[in-house]
Amino acid sequence: MTEAERVKPDLKEIQRKMTARAMYLKLLAAKEEGKPICMASAGIPSEVMYAMDVYPVFPESLAAISSGIGKAGPFFDEARDRGYTNTICSYTRCGLGIAWTNQCAFGPIPDPDFFITDVSFCCLHVTWWAYLEDHFKKPTFFMDMPATDQPDVPAYLEYYENQILEMVKFIEANSSSRFNQTRFMDAVRYSDLAGYYWKKIMDLRRHKPSPCSFRTLAGQIIPLVTALGEKEAADFYEALYEKYQDDIEKGVSPCKEGEKYRLIWNGIPIWHHLQVINYFEEKGANFVWEPYTSLSWGNKTRTGRLDLSRPFHTLAEKYTNVLHNRPIETRSRYFDQAIKDYEVDGLVLFSNRSCRPMSIGQSELVDLIREKYDIPLLVIEGDQADPEGFSWDDIRNRIDGFIEVLQGREGKETMK
Amino acid sequence: MIEVFKKKFDQRHRIAGQIKKEGKRIIGCFYGSVPKELIHSAGIVPVQLVEDRDYRYESKSGLPPYLCGMSKNLTGQINDKVFDYVDGVMVSTVCDTNRHVPDIWERNKVFPKTWIVRAPIKADDAAVSYYTREIRLLAEELGKLSGKKVTEEDLRKSIALYNENRSLFRKFYEARPGSGVSAEEAVYVFASALVLPVEEHNALMKEFLADLPPAPAKDRKIKLMLCALNINMSLEVIRLAGKYGARVVTDDFTHNARYGSEEIEIDGDVFRSLAQGYLRKIPLPGMYAFEQRARYIRDLMKKAGAEGLIYLLQLYCDAYAMEYSVLKEYFDQWNLPHLKIEAEDTPLSIEQLNVRVQSFMESLV
Repeated sequence: MTEAERVKPDLKEIQRKMTARAMYLKLLAAKEEGKPICMASAGIPSEVMYAMDVYPVFPESLAAISSGIGKAGPFFDEARDRGYTNTICSYTRCGLGIAWTNQCAFGPIPDPDFFITDVSFCCLHVTWWAYLEDHFKKPTFFMDMPATDQPDVPAYLEYYENQILEMVKFIEANSSSRFNQTRFMDAVRYSDLAGYYWKKIMDLRRHKPSPCSFRTLAGQIIPLVTALGEKEAADFYEALYEKYQDDIEKGVSPCKEGEKYRLIWNGIPIWHHLQVINYFEEKGANFVWEPYTSLSWGNKTRTGRLDLSRPFHTLAEKYTNVLHNRPIETRSRYFDQAIKDYEVDGLVLFSNRSCRPMSIGQSELVDLIREKYDIPLLVIEGDQADPEGFSWDDIRNRIDGFIEVLQGREGKETMK
Repeated sequence: MIEVFKKKFDQRHRIAGQIKKEGKRIIGCFYGSVPKELIHSAGIVPVQLVEDRDYRYESKSGLPPYLCGMSKNLTGQINDKVFDYVDGVMVSTVCDTNRHVPDIWERNKVFPKTWIVRAPIKADDAAVSYYTREIRLLAEELGKLSGKKVTEEDLRKSIALYNENRSLFRKFYEARPGSGVSAEEAVYVFASALVLPVEEHNALMKEFLADLPPAPAKDRKIKLMLCALNINMSLEVIRLAGKYGARVVTDDFTHNARYGSEEIEIDGDVFRSLAQGYLRKIPLPGMYAFEQRARYIRDLMKKAGAEGLIYLLQLYCDAYAMEYSVLKEYFDQWNLPHLKIEAEDTPLSIEQLNVRVQSFMESLV
């Protein structure tokens, strides 16, 4: 079949299959079909799981979704009752609430058969999954990834690549699933395509006006975290890319009064108050680049594609490439490039008490950016999933002030 | 004798300065699972970066408020050039704060060199091989810094010295409940180990163990165990417990009993032995079986006759807050009386613990 003959995926049809609720229903169906269920952390090679017919449940995604639709409260309460203080990451507390109650925002979740986590994405993943292993007495696998600031070292990649092979053995030892090379290659190919189209969507945001809303992308990114390896995920991002291309032609912008300012958001979205993003958009300020969307997920290899001739190695390269494990100078270079490429007018930093890896070093990052650019900056303090202590009125006032600064700077050069 | 440990600890910066004057290099360790033997084998003195009693250092750190007081206190000291004698810092990861705050140190070039210890969290063959390779690479870099190549023989001798220190600590913990060593004094015995050259600390320990103060006359005080991370806060809690009629008879701090409990067995390749000696041998949160850790605490309490446990957390320390919540399941299951207290290392914050410590004491009577 030639490219011209291929029926392109229909966004509306496929979108229905990729909603959080639809994925929840797929989870229930997978259990019904007798597929093993794995409680997994974000940042592990889910391609392997899809290739082996293991259905993953991602408590962090479920926590984000629960928070986004205002249903995380009971999970936080459960954690508090068990002695978990709110200085512990809200994803962890909410995710544990989900595990203890076997419930998520959409209803009951099936009992997982085993657990798998990454190690160096976030140190709490280690403690969190060690607890799951200890409490639920289920087989648990740690995708070992020693702390580093040099993930590109060949021996480091080799160690991680070996961990992927160990993960395969772990799944085979703890379920009836068997590794199948053809299915694995398909999973890596679909993952590559999903990442490829996602990158193209990110590139479209260079256009003035950018057709994308960060709030919408915050939802659209979920399959990139949870469904890599599925054909539907690849189809979804292809169709989404086509849609955003059309939007550009139509001049669509999330800013109803027109895009006046182009911003960077640094951090995880504030799931419990996503309307923060809409408020910026109402004022004509559109987020056009975020490390969270552009650098944390997708094909994080040097070429931007997954190398299908070396599938294990390419996954190793992708999953060890964790932005905040790199030195602050390296991180700042991405911002430097984005400010130029996306013609950015201002920077919003989310100082997130739950996510220390993403928040530590933000001031130093800003110092580096300000050595080159004269752009205004707004810091929003809070928590990614726990609304406790978050004042929407206060934040609105601060955004108003920030917009005034942007207005006052109209026409000024950003480059020093 | 006991005041010698306190004096040495209090004068740690002066002592480090003297070491530098003698022409030796010093590497700061952050935190407990840095392989100090390796640093020592390169002819460099490893010194743990420890929090200062002056809580005002926290405000000099410039770090976000939701980070633990330890990281802020250390960064404040660094910004004030307290650790100017350090030739480099070696970071072993316990938590995200301890992993990423050094990114800022590195960016601000406060130390001539920063090493992240790339330690796996597993202890299988692949992990040990990987870590052995990393240790060899670190040895090469340390050798370049000191001008003294690390040989197998050097490392063997260094491990032997640190093993001796571990063994002396074990003897101390066995003897302590039946001795007249106070809880505060015990803190200084281990705190001085963090900052002194191992040879000196071993000599002090031997002298000390040969002549332990006799046990005081029997009293009716409630006996407690203390689990903690922060040295200064521990001293305050020991004081509070005393105020309400209790005596801390054993403890589990970041060092000593916890970090020094297992000697490194040298078997064949000494670099590999060192790697094996560190992987999953130290009770870091999540990198050590929780049940084993809970049992260890329970057994230590039993040996010392402790009737209750105080688990002291430094506010915003998510790693140990999480560990406590997991251990609590075991403590509850065993009906082990315990109190978790969470505070900042400031006088006001500690004072607020009065009522909670007092109520806990009353519950134990």
